[in-house]
Amino acid sequence: MLIADEFFLIAHNDTRGKAKLHPAAAGLGLAGGLLGELILYGHITVTSGQVTVIDRRPPADALAHTVLDQLIGEAQHQAVRTWLSFLAQTAVTSVGERLARAGVLRRQENRRLLRTTVTYLPIDLNVAAWPATRLRAVLERSEPPSVPDALLLGLIAAAGLTREVLWSAGPRAHHRLNLIIPALPAPLKELVAHTESAVGAAVLRGIP
Amino acid sequence: MSSTATTERPSNVSEALARGRLGVPSVVFFVLSAAAPLTVVAGVVTTGYGVIGVLGIPLAFLAVAAVLALFSAGYVAMARRMANAGAFYAYVTRGLGRPAGVGTAWVALIAYNALQVGLYGAIGAAAEPVLDRLFGIQPQWWIVALVAWALVGVLGLLRVDINGMVLAVLLCAEIAVIVVFDLAQLGNPAGGSVSFAAFSPDNFFVPGVGAVLVLAILGFVGFEASVVFSEESKDPKRTVPMATYLSVAIIAVVYALSSWSMTVAVGPDRIVEEAGAQSVGLIFNLAGAHLGDTVLTIGQALFLTSVLAAMISFHNTTARYTFALGRERVLPAVFGRTSPMTGAPQAASLAQSGLGLVVILLYAVNGWDPVLQLFFWLGTSGGFGVLLMIATTAVAIITYFARSGEQETLWRRLIAPGIAAIALTAIIVLAVQNFANLLGVEPDSPLRWLFPAVYPVAALLGALWGVALRRNRPDTYARIGLGAESATAVAPPSGTDPVSTGAEVRR
Repeated sequence: MLIADEFFLIAHNDTRGKAKLHPAAAGLGLAGGLLGELILYGHITVTSGQVTVIDRRPPADALAHTVLDQLIGEAQHQAVRTWLSFLAQTAVTSVGERLARAGVLRRQENRRLLRTTVTYLPIDLNVAAWPATRLRAVLERSEPPSVPDALLLGLIAAAGLTREVLWSAGPRAHHRLNLIIPALPAPLKELVAHTESAVGAAVLRGIP
Repeated sequence: MSSTATTERPSNVSEALARGRLGVPSVVFFVLSAAAPLTVVAGVVTTGYGVIGVLGIPLAFLAVAAVLALFSAGYVAMARRMANAGAFYAYVTRGLGRPAGVGTAWVALIAYNALQVGLYGAIGAAAEPVLDRLFGIQPQWWIVALVAWALVGVLGLLRVDINGMVLAVLLCAEIAVIVVFDLAQLGNPAGGSVSFAAFSPDNFFVPGVGAVLVLAILGFVGFEASVVFSEESKDPKRTVPMATYLSVAIIAVVYALSSWSMTVAVGPDRIVEEAGAQSVGLIFNLAGAHLGDTVLTIGQALFLTSVLAAMISFHNTTARYTFALGRERVLPAVFGRTSPMTGAPQAASLAQSGLGLVVILLYAVNGWDPVLQLFFWLGTSGGFGVLLMIATTAVAIITYFARSGEQETLWRRLIAPGIAAIALTAIIVLAVQNFANLLGVEPDSPLRWLFPAVYPVAALLGALWGVALRRNRPDTYARIGLGAESATAVAPPSGTDPVSTGAEVRR
């Protein structure tokens, strides 16, 4: 499963598809996941706060393709923080739709008075709960996690979701988590740091 | 043909990000609602006349507005170049070094906490007439304060920043009521003629002038928040400066007019005595006599909502300050965490509420006077702390521009902050001399030294803590002053100076 998909399922780890994370952090965490996918595929890289496209060939995934097209089409915007803010605005919907296309979630519209809200309900609860379970297991093992798992853990920590994932884990898992993020490859480490900064800045602004 | 090729295509990214951007009115509303005008006019000014006994309060508001406008010229210019622009200690860090920055952060924590907790002393007096009218009950002040405390604590944890629209409506209503009160007071002058004695320099340059200047600074606290929106504003170079100057100007006019009209209605010779006797009831008693019961009731209800809004606003400010310091690891990291569901800075909010509870209980058990000894003493002491921070920041602005060599006009980088720094230092000297007047205690009371001495002690301890961090935890030391951006400070593994990235990258 892709990084942003797993982040989505962890942030909405609930039978009714309700968010466990406030909207600003959820959007920014997912945006970090989308950029992280492109870094992992080798399409872009991040250095000194700037995003650079290094491979313009279209990625297999449709959403990753769209994001890469946007990055190529608006080359005047390079700051990671700009792209995080931009992608965060639509990330919940776009990743939710991707999971719906993959048959993991079911889109449901709720009409309440004048507003229509969209929630994404898990089709199979076990599938939806799997990423969180898997990450806990990763942290309990002694060998270091794979790079994608380490990135996902980094984004989880950056968005302030650590306790959701580690609620039952021992101090050893917490300690291991603190070692995983500094060991990430440089572009991913920087992406995680910018995501954490952006989430903190949203809290300081106080406007949800 | 070539002209079509070079036409800039509209950018989806710029448009999408610009949609939520704030204009001048939004920023002004945000700043003014935190300033809570009716709390200042009905609470601070009346108590100030009674305690300090100086007639020149209106002139003090105008003088302080002029100084703050000068200060703002450099302040908004530096804010554009800053990470964590909402916090004075970030400026001091960049201008005067990290140990000074930590010292300022300690001062800020004390000052903002004092301002917030002090408001619990005013809520009882504000609620009394409303509760009497609605339910015919007259509860003890501390019962009201505890109810307000619980409300503030819960809202802080749920991160229910009161809806901007509600705040804007309340603010407009507050200002409308203040203006109606003022006009009624001016229309019913004592002795039949309108006196301008309150604007006379003879009534300003008297012993106690330092005290009224601190009182005036207290009225402006909140103006510094405009720069938080540097990045979210439509045009950072124009929106934030305009909003800052406008806020200062509006506050100055409203407060000067109101404090003057009180002296007109009561009479310049009797204002001190009457304000001392009636305290926060003064302008409502005047309004009741001039305007009748309906307007009076509206005014009293708005005073209550004004104090509540100010409490919530200062609670959130303080919690965010603590959160920023937790993110930097200057305070324990737990303060830098948020509740996942709401995004509220949980630990920081709880800590602030805890302090509030202790203070309310302390005053209730000892039977100390809530309006004078809690609201006025802590409020003015908090105002004094903010004064110290503004003065230090003015110096930091000058050194920052001198050291970084950034392009900026001479006026903004040197002259305006220079004049402001000199004026603010003069106000500090006068304030320390007049601290007994400010508190309304005997000149030989130990309290007149205790209150102002808290700040230099805190600043010194903070600076020492900063020096200790440099030796023991260089990672944390590098993050000082960056607030939420500090996560980025340690990110790049190789090459560039790790200290500068967080802020410099975004220039």
